[in-house]
Amino acid sequence: MSVTTADAVRPLPGRRWLTAAIVWALLLSVPAWLPMLGGYTALAARVLVLGLAAMSFNLLLGFTGVMSFGHAAYFGLGAYGAGLTLKYLAASTPLAMLMGVLLGGVAGTLFGLLIVRRRGVYFAMVTVAFGQIAFYIAYSWNDLTGGYDGLRGFTRAPLDLGFATIDIANNDIAFYYFLLAVFAVATGLQGLLLASPFGRTLLAIRENERRARFLGIPIERHIWMSFSISCAFTALAGALYALLNNFADPMGLHYTLSGEIVIMAVMGGMRAFWGPLVGATLFVVAQDYISSITVNWMSFVGLIFVLVVLFFPRGLLGMLQGRGGR
Amino acid sequence: MTQTATTHGLGRRTMLQTALVLAAPPIISARGETPVRIGMVDPLTGILSALAASEVEGARYAVGRLNKKNGILGRQIELLVEDSANDVGTGVQKTHKLIERDKVDVIFGDVNSGIAYAMSQVTNEAKVFHIVPGGHTDPITGTDCKWNVFRICNTTSMDAAATTGELVRRFGKKFFFITPDYAYGHTLQDAFIKRLKALGGEYEAEQLPINTADFSATLIKAKAYKPNVLLNNMGGLAQINCMKQFTQFGMEREMHLGGALFELETIRAVPREAQAGTWAMEWWWEQPDVPEVGAFVADFRKATGKTPSARHWFGMVAVESVRLAAEKAGSLDGPKLSLAMEDMALPPEVALQPGRIFYRAGDHELMANIFVGDAHPPAGNNPDAVFTVTSVVPGEKAAGPVADTGCKMVHPA
Repeated sequence: MSVTTADAVRPLPGRRWLTAAIVWALLLSVPAWLPMLGGYTALAARVLVLGLAAMSFNLLLGFTGVMSFGHAAYFGLGAYGAGLTLKYLAASTPLAMLMGVLLGGVAGTLFGLLIVRRRGVYFAMVTVAFGQIAFYIAYSWNDLTGGYDGLRGFTRAPLDLGFATIDIANNDIAFYYFLLAVFAVATGLQGLLLASPFGRTLLAIRENERRARFLGIPIERHIWMSFSISCAFTALAGALYALLNNFADPMGLHYTLSGEIVIMAVMGGMRAFWGPLVGATLFVVAQDYISSITVNWMSFVGLIFVLVVLFFPRGLLGMLQGRGGR
Repeated sequence: MTQTATTHGLGRRTMLQTALVLAAPPIISARGETPVRIGMVDPLTGILSALAASEVEGARYAVGRLNKKNGILGRQIELLVEDSANDVGTGVQKTHKLIERDKVDVIFGDVNSGIAYAMSQVTNEAKVFHIVPGGHTDPITGTDCKWNVFRICNTTSMDAAATTGELVRRFGKKFFFITPDYAYGHTLQDAFIKRLKALGGEYEAEQLPINTADFSATLIKAKAYKPNVLLNNMGGLAQINCMKQFTQFGMEREMHLGGALFELETIRAVPREAQAGTWAMEWWWEQPDVPEVGAFVADFRKATGKTPSARHWFGMVAVESVRLAAEKAGSLDGPKLSLAMEDMALPPEVALQPGRIFYRAGDHELMANIFVGDAHPPAGNNPDAVFTVTSVVPGEKAAGPVADTGCKMVHPA
């Protein structure tokens, strides 16, 4: 009965493939069906980017059992890394993404070394503190980051494949498919990672850290690696966010965004691989639609969160998979 | 075998009709029946919400007024308002939504300059005409100016320049600045210093974190420097705390207090002891010498029950500007609207202030007057009589030449 076992992470193989097939079919056909439902491509692009951020964060929360309240720091560092590269180094989108991932990933790796022995609320509080340090640096370093006004003066560059050029700078649908391709690679890597012995070890740590330690697993090293990888993927999402907006601002590093990322992961289901993407979809779409109707949209989003936590404690997708598993 | 869908309560005929309705292309209405769609993105939630709400209210008032007449080019106006939540990503997303899904003709926004700039990249790419009613940072009509973007409110530098002259004239040339340590504060202080130096003044400055609560050490330094004017460039709660402590220290007997921008919405929200000092207003509702203002204020109060603020005026002017430019261009096409708006002067019933108020072609900045004066607790029974104008500075004088803004306007071929 226990759904906190690894079975919840890996539902029946047929069902897992069906879930993945549905997710990819929906994502691939977005430009065809979304406008008919009153949506638009940029909305789907935002869902993808924030979904990737939430899934990356969930490597830590859902699959390692460690809570971070400062993941916006790496998201924002990824955005600034990409923006600064495009502005000052070269008009190359892949290079911008690489630099974004490096900036956020290296910061996460170094910071992880300092906090890896902390647990529970202490770990969470230190991550908040680092997030706020990053926020105030971006806020105050006007000459480099543009300060409160944000980093401006860069645009994503068309993709030069050598034999062809894809205009992701001016064609929104081409950019959406570019985002989807990056998202596919990133989530594919995350899936492989979780299916590997390293991923299984993380699950063992999540389920019972003391028992894992008695088995001789180097707990701190695994948590540190999980934290670093999670930060690097979150930084990739941040770099994509900068490309989406052609802009990076300090609010991308703020703890409020960290809170939103947590909400997305929990709403969708932190024990389910695709759960955070479902949570991000619900969050972004609800925000988009309800905020067009009332300025009190945050109350409704909060209400949805409360209802999900009360009635679907394992999140929307976690609940569905739990039922299927039974 | 002949069982049909009727057993499920859904007839084949109904299904076919539904399919036809869903598959049918949207019927294009006659041009005169299609409303002119204006999209407005503003931070209706977050710390700037009071200012944003006023801008939206001003725009709605103007839309209602015009729709009772002839709308824009004979078409009714539809105002679609979206909340940017004071977040760049959300602002950009909502701009995409308005352009891609709602097919708006024009975009307004945002109060937050950072969001306004990010939005301008989207509108520029889509060649959609864009008015920034109330985002003050200089580069929007300076180094980052764009052919499709016009601004109604002043730049930070214009407000600072206008206030400096008045402060020097009335109180003296020795200033002490208390400035928040971030881009807006730096721009503001630089603008003050530039004008102060030109007038032969001297100064000392202290830059503090934006959320400073205790100003006692800085105020002691200011007291020791014995300036004529203490310039409070802080914003939000820090600005109010600074002013309250200034009064508690009894410093108003030794020096005058001033700053760049103090808006009606903000003055109304602060305690009495903070309703003080010399500031700039970008429009003021009490102008006895301009008859159109009295009529507008009366009509606005009748329509909304409120006294119009500068933000209301920004919203109203944005809608009226689109009407005027569209009538001049005979079109709502972005490039044509932009060319029509350049050097376009506002008529008296829209300008609502003395002098020629026009959009400068070189940087697309509205050259409106700046109302410098003194903030004070409400005079008489009117809670909105919290400011007395002492001088009206022409916008062009405060802005300086286009060459100084750094704007290089390039129109599409």
